[in-house]
Amino acid sequence: MSAIPYNTPAELLGEMDRTRSRWLLAGLLGLAAAAGGYFADPQRFFQSYLYAYVFVFGLAMGSLALTMLNHLTGGAWGIMIRRILEAGSRTFPLLLILFLPIALGVFQIFPWAPHEVAEQDHLIHEKSAYLNVPFFFARVAGYFLICLFLSFRISRLSAQQDEHGAEPYYTKLQRLSGPGILLYGLTVTFFSIDLIMSLDPHWFSTIFGILLLGCQGVSTFAFAIMVLVWLMRQRPMSEAVRSVHLHDLGKLMFAFVNLFAYFNFSQFLIIWSGNLPEETTWYLKRTTGGWQYVSIAIMVLHFFVPFFLLLSRNLKRTPGKVSKVAGWLIFMQLVNAYWLVMPSFHERGIHLHWLDAATPLAIGGLWMWVFLGQLKQRPLLPVGDPMLEEALHSGGH
Amino acid sequence: MENTSTVKELSLAERERAAVIGPGHTFATITDKIASIVLHEPSPASWWLGLLIGLTLLSGLGLSVGYLLFKGTGIWGINIPVGWGFAIINFVWWIGIGHAGTLISAILLLLKQRWRTSINRFAEAMTLFAVACAAIFPVIHTGRPWLAAYWLFPYPNTMALMPQFRSPLMWDVFAVSTYGTVSLLFWYVGLIPDLATLRDRATAKFQKIAYGILSLGWRGSAVHWHRYETASLLLAGLATPLVLSVHTIVSFDFAVSVIPGWHATIFPPYFVAGAIFSGFAMVVTLSIPIRAIYGLQDFITLKHLENMAKVMLATGWIVFYGYLMEIFIAWYSGNEYERYMMINRQMGPYAPFYWALIFCNGIAPQIFWWKKARTSIPILFIMSIVINIGMWLERFIIVVTSLHRDFLPSSWGMYWPTIWDWMTYAGTLGLFLTLFFLFIRVLPMISIFEMRTIIPQAKVAGVHK
Repeated sequence: MSAIPYNTPAELLGEMDRTRSRWLLAGLLGLAAAAGGYFADPQRFFQSYLYAYVFVFGLAMGSLALTMLNHLTGGAWGIMIRRILEAGSRTFPLLLILFLPIALGVFQIFPWAPHEVAEQDHLIHEKSAYLNVPFFFARVAGYFLICLFLSFRISRLSAQQDEHGAEPYYTKLQRLSGPGILLYGLTVTFFSIDLIMSLDPHWFSTIFGILLLGCQGVSTFAFAIMVLVWLMRQRPMSEAVRSVHLHDLGKLMFAFVNLFAYFNFSQFLIIWSGNLPEETTWYLKRTTGGWQYVSIAIMVLHFFVPFFLLLSRNLKRTPGKVSKVAGWLIFMQLVNAYWLVMPSFHERGIHLHWLDAATPLAIGGLWMWVFLGQLKQRPLLPVGDPMLEEALHSGGH
Repeated sequence: MENTSTVKELSLAERERAAVIGPGHTFATITDKIASIVLHEPSPASWWLGLLIGLTLLSGLGLSVGYLLFKGTGIWGINIPVGWGFAIINFVWWIGIGHAGTLISAILLLLKQRWRTSINRFAEAMTLFAVACAAIFPVIHTGRPWLAAYWLFPYPNTMALMPQFRSPLMWDVFAVSTYGTVSLLFWYVGLIPDLATLRDRATAKFQKIAYGILSLGWRGSAVHWHRYETASLLLAGLATPLVLSVHTIVSFDFAVSVIPGWHATIFPPYFVAGAIFSGFAMVVTLSIPIRAIYGLQDFITLKHLENMAKVMLATGWIVFYGYLMEIFIAWYSGNEYERYMMINRQMGPYAPFYWALIFCNGIAPQIFWWKKARTSIPILFIMSIVINIGMWLERFIIVVTSLHRDFLPSSWGMYWPTIWDWMTYAGTLGLFLTLFFLFIRVLPMISIFEMRTIIPQAKVAGVHK
């Protein structure tokens, strides 16, 4: 058997607590600033809040999806980050509370929401069977029910596996993950339509759900790598995680960077070629008034630069380097969320506001605080997983 | 006591590994079994029957293409408004089928999925033959293939005519030829160690010479193996984006237009998933009879078939998701032409084909949620055929329903293929069968040296890294 003691050492727990309180402090400061911003400029508050919320929600949803994916496909990469992902997916209760400002601001945020709009706008009238406030809330409730159910069921089965050993939990987790991934796919699709696509209620794109899925893949892998490297400074992860695991995680992050670019490029090329006025509006907003620089920055700094960096085998296997690229990608995903949401409100041109920094700090800080609290509750490795031994020794298949 | 618990803990991982090869095999039995099919065993009657069917259909291809060159495309069912018919449908269908081979040989190699080992060789061969079948259609589709050089290959000419580089049809030429080239190289490089094994074991003089030349002087030295590993890793890396790029560009053929039903941003990923879906169905269609005829149940095990069923379930859902999004966004767009396109698919003159497609690709594959179905040979075989039909119908629906009812009702019409369309299509099936049966007769259909690495002894001997 392995010589690695699985319990998180007290020293690490202490450090997690200290980091946790720092995030809480950051979150509270951000929250205070955001609250002040609400009174100063409520319209802007809702807009900034929405983009930050979409980004952080993606981390939780991505964590849930990757947990299920790993249960289905196996692989050492997922065993090493299992507990990080599980902790990330146990943050939906917080996200439910943090949804409150969006619920309250629904009439200010979504142009289709006010009743009189549908009466004046033919296209919005045509889709009012879907785009109406009661159905919007019903759908959001559905997303939360699905995410809460899946994350807590999986988390519970995983805890039972820790205690009682592999079976029957191994099989149960697999059985749940198949339909779970399916539900995730539908949830991310309609979540993206409701919270982002409907900001331009005339605009539509069939790839949009998959596009957001790609975003979540990048940010979640990047996040998991950063946390894993942070944990690797101490036992047990310093002994459990080897360069081969980081290499695999780096490759998967690389794959999602490519997929992200691929989905974006596909959507752009098809809309550009078709050149239909009802579709090009979305890109026109993002290629004028200063937004074009953000578009180009995403292309260069979220694709070309990380692409060439992540080609390097050495980089993917070196904790310090791969986590820096991961951190950069998380930042670029935040920029990307900004780029997805904001131009719909500010078509005349880019207009930065201090609230754009305060809201991610508020939501992100509180989220990290809950995340770290969840992370320290369990051993950092899934001790009951039957594939753990193989993952530790061979680097997995 | 502690010993038993260790065994128990590892048993799951061990079981997973053991399931990809039958029990009791050694390095020698694997080599004997696979090599003797090519070198010593007489071909079974079913092989002759298969080849005969293939050659019969192939002669139909010769006949129909011959008549096409003589008469022109008027012998086909295409006309205004449906100017794209069987040629593009079958082109896309064949190209899609090839994708499973590349996925198995490249992506599953990079993902370290060991179960790919026994099916990758003939899946790659299938890729090459499918590309060959697909390539026939763009070449003959004008009825004047000798002019193809004009509009396919950009070359500087005195008339200053160049192909339209902004057209995805042009990109297809580059994408498919790159794909064919890399697939061929990958397949051939992977064959070299096995060709050397055949050379060493051949008894007939012709065999010795032929395999000797083809094996390029392989001696199995450490340097050879080192270079081999590097080459296959590089080729796998090159082939991986090709899995996405080829069918993405094929989807652009449709999506860059403004035709409702074609102009959809989801087309690229949904075409790629459909390609893998149909490709795996074809691998299952081929592997089930082959393992029965040649007694290869130990090499292509139920575990392989089950894994392929899982891939079909997953990719089938991506395809089905695409159909659902098309329906939803057609309505959500609020655009009357988009909405009519979907109503026409579901209730228009081609509605039975649409619902057959939904059944074949969306409903029927759900049977694979059950392990019993994933491990039942008859169900797998029937389902693989159902999916192949479904994927063909998908292309038929996309091509025909979007074209046959134009924006103006005055330019509506119907499309029905003629006997020559069917003969050409059946003829490519014949070409595929003929090439495939010749392949399994003269080359090892399962990779001998890779199979040797997955038996338990290989781990002890340190063959496997």
